[in-house]
Amino acid sequence: MAVKKDYKDQKLVEKLRDRNYYIPDSNPEFIKEVEQIGRTAAHMCYQCGTCTGSCPSAPRSSYRIRLFMRKAILGLEEEILTDPDLWLCTTCYSCTDRCPRNLAPTDVIMAMRNLAARRDIIPRNFLKTTQLIYETGHGVPNNDANRAARKKLGLDEEPETTHKYPEYLPGLRKIIDHYGLKERADKILSEGE
Amino acid sequence: MAEIKKNEEPRIGVFVCHCGTNIAGSIDVAAVRDYAKTLPNVAIADDYQYMCSTPGQNKIRDAIAEHNLTGVVVAACSPRLHEPTFRNATAAGGLNPFRFEMANIREQNSWVHMHQPEEATAKAKDAVRIAVAKASLLEDLIPKSVPVEKAAMVVGGGVGGMQAALDLANAGIKTYLVEKNPTIGGRMSQLDKTFPTLDCSQCILTPKMVDVYRNENIELLTYTEVEGVEGYIGNFDVTLRKKARGVLTPAEAEARGIIGGGCTGCGDCEAVCPVIKPNPFELGMAPRKAIYIYHPQVSPLIYTVDFDACVKCGLCVEACGEKKAIDLDAKDEFMTVKVGTVIIATGYDIFPIEKKLEWGYKRFDNVITSLEFERLICASGPTGGHLVRPSDGETPKKVAFVLCAGSRDNTGVGKPYCSRFCCMYSLKHAHQIIEKIPGAVPYIFYMDIRSFGKMYEEFYYRIQNEGAKFIRGRVANILEDPVTKNLHVNAEDTLLGRPLDIEVDMVVLAAAVEPSAETEKTRRLFGVSCSQDGWLLEAHPKLNPCGTTTAGVYLAGVCQGPKDIPDTVAQAEGAASAASIPIHRGEVELEPYFAQCIEEKCAGCGLCVNLCPYGALALVEKDGRKVMQVTEAKCKGCGTCGGFCPGGAIKMQHFTTPQIVAQIDAFLLGGEQ
Ligand SMILES: Cc1cc2nc3c(=O)[nH]c(=O)nc-3n(C[C@H](O)[C@H](O)[C@H](O)COP(=O)(O)OP(=O)(O)OC[C@H]3O[C@@H](n4cnc5c(N)ncnc54)[C@H](O)[C@@H]3O)c2cc1C
Ligand code: SF4
Ligand code: SF4
Ligand code: SF4
Ligand code: SF4
Repeated sequence: MAVKKDYKDQKLVEKLRDRNYYIPDSNPEFIKEVEQIGRTAAHMCYQCGTCTGSCPSAPRSSYRIRLFMRKAILGLEEEILTDPDLWLCTTCYSCTDRCPRNLAPTDVIMAMRNLAARRDIIPRNFLKTTQLIYETGHGVPNNDANRAARKKLGLDEEPETTHKYPEYLPGLRKIIDHYGLKERADKILSEGE
Repeated sequence: MAEIKKNEEPRIGVFVCHCGTNIAGSIDVAAVRDYAKTLPNVAIADDYQYMCSTPGQNKIRDAIAEHNLTGVVVAACSPRLHEPTFRNATAAGGLNPFRFEMANIREQNSWVHMHQPEEATAKAKDAVRIAVAKASLLEDLIPKSVPVEKAAMVVGGGVGGMQAALDLANAGIKTYLVEKNPTIGGRMSQLDKTFPTLDCSQCILTPKMVDVYRNENIELLTYTEVEGVEGYIGNFDVTLRKKARGVLTPAEAEARGIIGGGCTGCGDCEAVCPVIKPNPFELGMAPRKAIYIYHPQVSPLIYTVDFDACVKCGLCVEACGEKKAIDLDAKDEFMTVKVGTVIIATGYDIFPIEKKLEWGYKRFDNVITSLEFERLICASGPTGGHLVRPSDGETPKKVAFVLCAGSRDNTGVGKPYCSRFCCMYSLKHAHQIIEKIPGAVPYIFYMDIRSFGKMYEEFYYRIQNEGAKFIRGRVANILEDPVTKNLHVNAEDTLLGRPLDIEVDMVVLAAAVEPSAETEKTRRLFGVSCSQDGWLLEAHPKLNPCGTTTAGVYLAGVCQGPKDIPDTVAQAEGAASAASIPIHRGEVELEPYFAQCIEEKCAGCGLCVNLCPYGALALVEKDGRKVMQVTEAKCKGCGTCGGFCPGGAIKMQHFTTPQIVAQIDAFLLGGEQ
């Protein structure tokens, strides 16, 4: 409206602000960027909900992949990138298998995580995983319980990975260093402390 | 047909059908059969899995001969379904087919009393007893044949009426096409492009209009309305009012001895006419003169004088010159034509959407209807195809499309039904602005997208891909910014569960449709029923969608209910085919349920004559006194007169007083104690 409400008192204005309203095309470029990174036509989502229905994360959390699709189309960039639910996708690709519009919702989520990461918005557990991979080559390194279980099954205590062949670790670190991932993780984690 | 038999001692055969488990599942069929054997006049009672099957029908045929039956009762489904079947079986056995009576123990019994087998069985026995009582008194009846006039009429010259007329004419039938406007074409000629193929509407319609005009079996009567209808299938006498047009066709001019004269469509008259009026074809968004054509592609290309506006200055007469086409003293003319069958194709109007106050149509300049949008985006429309805001002539960039505007509305203000083509044309409109206006964004507010037709879902996919924004939620209200005349559209994005408020430059309301203004009058003249919301009623929604309950009258297009062009044309072809059948057969059989005057009892009071809704009765002189006489072909057997006659002088064939009394007696007095 041309005439704006003004209560003169800044606190009151803030309190009475229409919180539920959003501007539907707050960033029309956002969906284009997501599509470019995700390589999937996210704007063709018709909101059927097959993805959320397929999602193993959905019944265990407040994560709703369909809602993320909707918000992405509407360009609700801020809201998406600061939402902790963004990180609850297990990347199982069930939704991508079943989407009737032949979209890849998983890749939409991955694209938006990438965009979040550009702003250093990454949950601590993901950063710690990065550090672990750098140190051991594993997101979840071997431990004593696993070693005992492997032995019982007649397997070598260490799997056929960097655990058994630590000589490959430097190569792996080279890749991670190339992208500066470890450095970044260390930095963000230390800032958080 | 069997010879008429004299009534003798009645001998009735009763056949109880299992209908698989449809009946036998809740009714004890054997008990009903055995009960029937105990009833007076019953010579044989039997039962069978499916009475309608060939062996079932053979049972009836054989029993008639074996037991010398005078009447047949089948206890089974509704007579709507199988009365004709069992009448045929009765005739095959050598009896008059009207000696058959049906007891409905399925739709009205086993299906509704599924969980009460005992009561259902008792009720079935009652039904059989009542049917036997009537069957004992049935008489032979002979259906009446009437010849069918080899001509048809189509009322309404939209795409539906035009298609029906073309099909009838091409099948060799003389066809009168009656259109109330000065040109044929209907709503389709107001459209710009048509979904889902996006062909230009005029480009595909104009050739059809020309075909209609040129077809020698079609007598095109534009600017004409139906005034009165007399008669019945095969013989309708239709009175037409040819409204005073004030302009002669070349043929009319020649008839008046003006050789080489008549309107050529040159338009010289229009140029000089001083009176300016809004053009209804452009929905009032462009002017026309008092002498006018709707648009350049009209058919026939003959000008029309609007006598309500004409000041009779005579300038046009002068301009027309030697062609002498203009007659400013023209009067309405009446003519009567005889036709065998009639197709009604009177189409639709846009619901007056200003009645839904919350969307501000007619209050806010930049809220328009979808039909206005069609004219504004059309290259031959009032703005040459440039979509502009009525408030300031600017090109809108953000346009909201409000679907279900006035449809699916149970408030009593709007319409409870889905208008069926608005989803699709709104998708089309979204495409059109994306195509024509660089940077334009269409916002489509919808509850569901109903893209049900062939290639329609694909069209939806295409428009979404082109960048239309879809918001699932019905628009709650629209507010206007008093300064910029922009509009605020308030709705819920139901997929997010959040209210929203979008500022747009223009709102297009996909307004509901309703039967065209004169549909009500037309349907009454032809005796056609309508549903609650005014759409004309088909004989059966699935099995007879083109017919009506009035024999010889058929429906085509939106007058029967909202439908798009493909469905309209398909129904029109169906109606034309149905309407041509009686004409090609040359005669029709009428059910012999006529009223009959028992002349000895008739006092000649004549009171029944005015009561008959079909005008089938008259008083005539006979042997020096007045008696009532029935025109059997007009009588529908409704029984109004029979129930009324104070002297009991009217016999309703097949529903005689003794037959009905016997049924009531059988119900009240009979039965197991
Ligand atoms: C905005 C809009 C866009 C549309 N776009 C499309 C599209 O893209 N594709 C599509 O398939 N469909 C579209 N449609 C639907 C299409 O308009 C109809 O399907 C079609 O016009 C129906 O034709 P009809 O002959 O049944 O009725 P009409 O076109 O309404 O024709 C009825 C005719 O009967 C005449 N008439 C009425 N009463 C009488 C009377 N008493 N006596 C004599 N004559 C009478 C009228 O003057 C009129 O000429 C659209 C509709 C709208 C509103
Ligand atoms: S399954 Fe595909 S189309 Fe359906 S809501 Fe999810 S992303 Fe959208
Ligand atoms: S890939 Fe992610 S969003 Fe898709 S079903 Fe699996 S966990 Fe859910
Ligand atoms: S001037 Fe005469 S011929 Fe020309 S359009 Fe007018 S009425 Fe017809
Ligand atoms: S066709 Fe679509 S817009 Fe029109 S009433 Fe039906 S659902 Fe609503």
